Amino acid sequence: MAEGLRLSHTSAMILQAVGTGHVYGYTVIAVTGLASGTVYPALRRLEGDELVRSEWERQSTADAALRPPRKYYQLTPSGEAALEISRKRYPLLSKLAPLTEVEDV
Amino acid sequence: MSNGWMPHLILRTASLLAPADRRAEWVREWRSELWYIPRKRSTRFCLGAFRDALWVRRNHASAVKGTAIHLVSPLSCLAFLAIVAALSLAITLLLPAPGLPDMPQRLRARDLPAGCCAMLIFTSTMLPVLWLVMGRAPSHFHRVPWPNRVRGGIFLVLKIALVHPIVLTSFLLAISLNHVVPIAALGIFGTAIFALRWTLIDQRERCPVCLRLLTDPVRIGTASQTLLEWYGGESACSRGHGLLHRAEIPSSYSEYPQWHRLDASWQGLFLEGLGRR
Repeated sequence: MAEGLRLSHTSAMILQAVGTGHVYGYTVIAVTGLASGTVYPALRRLEGDELVRSEWERQSTADAALRPPRKYYQLTPSGEAALEISRKRYPLLSKLAPLTEVEDV
Repeated sequence: MSNGWMPHLILRTASLLAPADRRAEWVREWRSELWYIPRKRSTRFCLGAFRDALWVRRNHASAVKGTAIHLVSPLSCLAFLAIVAALSLAITLLLPAPGLPDMPQRLRARDLPAGCCAMLIFTSTMLPVLWLVMGRAPSHFHRVPWPNRVRGGIFLVLKIALVHPIVLTSFLLAISLNHVVPIAALGIFGTAIFALRWTLIDQRERCPVCLRLLTDPVRIGTASQTLLEWYGGESACSRGHGLLHRAEIPSSYSEYPQWHRLDASWQGLFLEGLGRR
């Protein structure tokens, strides 16, 4: 599926952000600089295309940290393949900061 | 993390746009993310919720299937209108008649045909104006066979006939309410225009061959190509009879919507068309 898929630059950026460990909606916003009104619909669309999958954090984990549970996103195998293709198409994608550089978010 | 009342109010308002059966999950998701947003960025962050909620609504297939009144086929459309017309007539019998000297206090069943005819005469005066305002109906690249045109005409006439009981009820309702709200009588114009306009729009949104509502609207082209080719929307007949092209900005070569007939070789692409004509 991913081989024939051509992602837009925005979708590729979001996929790259998720791929580099920014697994929450807001961390994707912080690292890409995109608006929330762009990122969340894009994440839903990518999920619909089975390029990412989402899961809710366990309630017990969130309770232990005294915060609400968060939904996190992960790349699927098709998503990884699509990201690989997008990296060739948009070489600057690789420059998107990996998780360690935006830990303050 | 507390973000004040404004972001929560924005989220609550935006949640009204999300489909009801997904609203709780949608709000939960946005609220959980909001908890992590620094206060000064929270309002801007929440404004994106409107776009997201709209996206969810637009792409939520089950909500559309569950709540839409199925008017796709001409028979279901007529059946629906017949039910509404019957209900309207039943209500009409309970409403006081207009206070004319030779009229009874309430309309009787035998007065209803005359009442509907009076409404028909009333709305007929509006029909040419509506026709002018709405512009020309879609033009056909290929001539539609006359049996199909006759069927389309009969369907339109039946629809117009069935909306008139509704107009009659709204007329009597407006008259009876006029004692309470002095401008209520003007509502009759609104109802008549709305009913007729819907009838004409519905007719234009149907396949001229099978009279089913056109489906799968898609956007074609971009505004930057406007000098080279048209751009706008395309809807298809679910049985593969043709496509309706509607230019976003009418130009000399695409002033009116255009119906393009598809020949039998396209049938395989349309599941509903298999085995039916």
